[in-house]
Amino acid sequence: MSENSSSRRSGFDRRAFVAGVAGSALVPLTARAVAQDAKAPAAQDPALPVDVTLRVNGKDKRLQLDARTTVLDALREHLKLTGSKKGCDHGQCGACTVLIDDRRVVSCLTLALAAEGQEITTIEGLATNDRLHPMQQAFIDNDAFQCGYCTPGQIMSALACVKEGHAGSDADIREYMSGNICRCAAYPNIVAAVKQAAPEIMKG
Amino acid sequence: MTAAAPEPKANMGQPVPRYDAASKVTGRATYASDMPLDNPAHAFLVTSAIAKGRVDSFDLDDARAVRGVIDIVTHENAPKLKESKLFSNGGYAGTTIQPLKSADIAHDGQIIAVVIAESYEAAREAANRVKVSYTAVAPSASFGSPGTTTAAAKGQNAQFKEDPQVGDFARAFDEAEVKLTASYDTPPQHHNPMELFTTSCAWMGDNLVIYEGSQYVYGLKNGVAEQLGIDADKVRVVNPYVGGGFGSRGSMTPRTAIIAGIAKRLNRPIKLVPTRDQGFTITTHRAETRHEIRLGASRDGKLVALRHEGAEVSSRPDAYCVGGTKTTTRLYACPNVASLVSIVRADRNTPGFMRSPPEVPYLFALESAMDELAVKLNMDPVELRRINDTTVEPIGGKPYTSRSLMACFDEAAKAFGWSQRSPQPKSMSDGDWLIGYGCAATCYPTQMAPSAARVRLQRDGRTRVEIAGHEIGTGAYTVIAQTAAERLGVPLDKVAVFLGDSELPPAPVAGGSNSTASTCSAVMMVCDQIRQRLFKAVMPSDSLTDKAKETVGLSQAPSTQAAKSDRPLDIEKAFDALGAGVVEEYGEWKPEGAPLDSFKAMHSGHARIVGGHAMKDKIAYAFGAEFVEVRINRFTHEIRCPRLVGAFAAGRIMNPRTARSQLMGGLIWGMSSALLEATEIDQRNARYVNDNLADYLVPVNADVAGVEVILLSEQDDHINPAGAKGLGELANVGTNAAICNAIYHATGQRIRKLPVRLENIEA
Repeated sequence: MSENSSSRRSGFDRRAFVAGVAGSALVPLTARAVAQDAKAPAAQDPALPVDVTLRVNGKDKRLQLDARTTVLDALREHLKLTGSKKGCDHGQCGACTVLIDDRRVVSCLTLALAAEGQEITTIEGLATNDRLHPMQQAFIDNDAFQCGYCTPGQIMSALACVKEGHAGSDADIREYMSGNICRCAAYPNIVAAVKQAAPEIMKG
Repeated sequence: MTAAAPEPKANMGQPVPRYDAASKVTGRATYASDMPLDNPAHAFLVTSAIAKGRVDSFDLDDARAVRGVIDIVTHENAPKLKESKLFSNGGYAGTTIQPLKSADIAHDGQIIAVVIAESYEAAREAANRVKVSYTAVAPSASFGSPGTTTAAAKGQNAQFKEDPQVGDFARAFDEAEVKLTASYDTPPQHHNPMELFTTSCAWMGDNLVIYEGSQYVYGLKNGVAEQLGIDADKVRVVNPYVGGGFGSRGSMTPRTAIIAGIAKRLNRPIKLVPTRDQGFTITTHRAETRHEIRLGASRDGKLVALRHEGAEVSSRPDAYCVGGTKTTTRLYACPNVASLVSIVRADRNTPGFMRSPPEVPYLFALESAMDELAVKLNMDPVELRRINDTTVEPIGGKPYTSRSLMACFDEAAKAFGWSQRSPQPKSMSDGDWLIGYGCAATCYPTQMAPSAARVRLQRDGRTRVEIAGHEIGTGAYTVIAQTAAERLGVPLDKVAVFLGDSELPPAPVAGGSNSTASTCSAVMMVCDQIRQRLFKAVMPSDSLTDKAKETVGLSQAPSTQAAKSDRPLDIEKAFDALGAGVVEEYGEWKPEGAPLDSFKAMHSGHARIVGGHAMKDKIAYAFGAEFVEVRINRFTHEIRCPRLVGAFAAGRIMNPRTARSQLMGGLIWGMSSALLEATEIDQRNARYVNDNLADYLVPVNADVAGVEVILLSEQDDHINPAGAKGLGELANVGTNAAICNAIYHATGQRIRKLPVRLENIEA
């Protein structure tokens, strides 16, 4: 990982950042947090860019970001990795799902700064040398999408679903894939795809 | 073969995987929201917190103080835009309510300001710091609200020309042996496609490029040009992939010209990413409807009288309506029919097309009523449909071009196990679960519109098809590629298809399920033009040219199938004879009965859609039958829907894989329409309450268990050269009725208002 970490970043303090955001957006809930941080230096303008290094699909990416930038917007707007999709920006639809240190997270609710030092895997990082990942192939074989907009999130979620051990039955797959909305409603085909790919993925 | 790729039956194409499959599973598919822009500014909308009144003043000091803010646009400094007529009145717009034109507010969530900043984050923060002073007036929210006005749709809406009627309903109903009168309600719904309503605009001198998910790139191009007052040739709309449409992207919304105007003024590309909740009010939706159905029948089940009255909510200025009586008055044999559609005006944003706009609400009413009538007659509901099945629609006496309704009922009933049903309500259970079986008919008009295409064939067989059609998830790339490969006799993997760009030859709106029939018919015709040129090159004699004419079709409408006697064309030899390396043809196809101005209209972004009940001497619909099992917990009243079975017949099935997926998704949409989806309205404030994907319930994976789609073989030579009936809007019709019919069977309780939630179950 890069030598940059939040504590050493020049002029940036995570507690001050939290207080600044809390002060502007979340007053009722975090008034106490602001009070506790009263001795901290005044929050700096969050729009001032800060240096961030994100490790995405095995490569370090140095960026200067508005401190409020989410992982999703960092990927889409700054790294031009547009495979991860914005469907709600509220963590309600799952279209932005990526793996962070092998856990599935909604990247729209994860600040880029909070993902420093962690391994981010996106849909662009799955295929190797133009060879599709078994889950990608299974989605094609089972026609597990129509418009395709939720598909990157579904596939990332499906990978985690299998690795978590939640692909043992149709009912399990349905339950553990329910954080990803598919408005075209390809659900039965998504279940079939996860079932097809699961043994191969578990084999490694 | 997997379940996803059913074995083709007669008159079906191959279930090949999607043309765009690899792009979509790797994240390489670039939707309009993904298009890279050169140093864009970011826009964030500020929307109205009141539904009616005016903006008195803005206090923008706090917002302007946010670092990175470039400009804040309100009605006081907005670009001047020209008006556009409503889509259904021959214009491009989904609403004639034009935001930022004045201080007036016509509905909740109307755009009242646009913040432009260096970053999305800064634009969002500044938008939240815009302070607005309003003068608010009490708004009318919906049916029954004080201040609404009601009038017949006929005479207000150019597309709703008359209320269908025949015979003497009043007398026949009066004299009927068995009578039913019942009222039904359906709620407002929002499309909520997964891709947000993003718009990016970039100018190069006087030329504008718009990246926006659209179901009608020619409509949007011409509409924005009209609003900006510029030549349409200077506007280009690009969206090779669309992240779901369902009708929400068929007509132009006001946001596009506003963003284009601001980008021009700033001389910088602008990217607007509206929030999910803003999407509820800056685009269209399915309006709430109310129905009264009267059915009169003889004791043996023959319908003698049918009346369907429907009312729909629209906005103050726009007489939008779906008028589904055009379908419900023609579905069954009945000599005495009356109908009336009314529009109720409220202080709301203008509604618009949402997947099967007329049929979803209107068939809910009719197909629920048919089930109620079957109960009154003590008759199997399938048999009631059989008794009233017809080959001729009753209003104009026109024959259906093909109609496999009862074949669908029989196939689906068999697959479902309908014969296991004990007819008495509350007679089936499994432990704590009451079980109900229900069924309903579905149908959707077969529609076509003029379309152009350009096809280029190289001597090595590589083929390029260009058409400004739309890939909204339906499989447009795939079926167009299959059509060209089949027609030219080249391998499928040599065909490249280009869609979603208004620089390409015009295609109609991806609406009314007309796309496959229209675009594939155009592609067939243009491929035939290429074949003619090649045939003439290798067989220059008159007699052989006549043979070429016969086999490849010189007429405006190509024959449905390539003639059997067609010998394979040796492309290499033909190119040698022609002395050319490439053959390219452009052509414009129009369906039978299309008006004289069709091609002119096609280029200016007006789709002259024909078909359905509006054909001269025939009527064309696709049909289906749907059976559902519901399980209701007798203590908690939780409602589950473990099985959905549908059988469908829709002419030629171009690709059983993409067809099955669309129909499967449709069945789930239908289930959702019955049990989940409703946009809740705050009646005091005329405001949508659940405007996000956590509170607006759409199905998730755990809501869906067994879904079975049965594709029936059907051939129809009277609709279009492709022989295809649109099926994208077929399966989500009638499902809502089938589920309520099943709930009645499970509980003995008839529910006539959607959606049905556990608190609505009394038993």
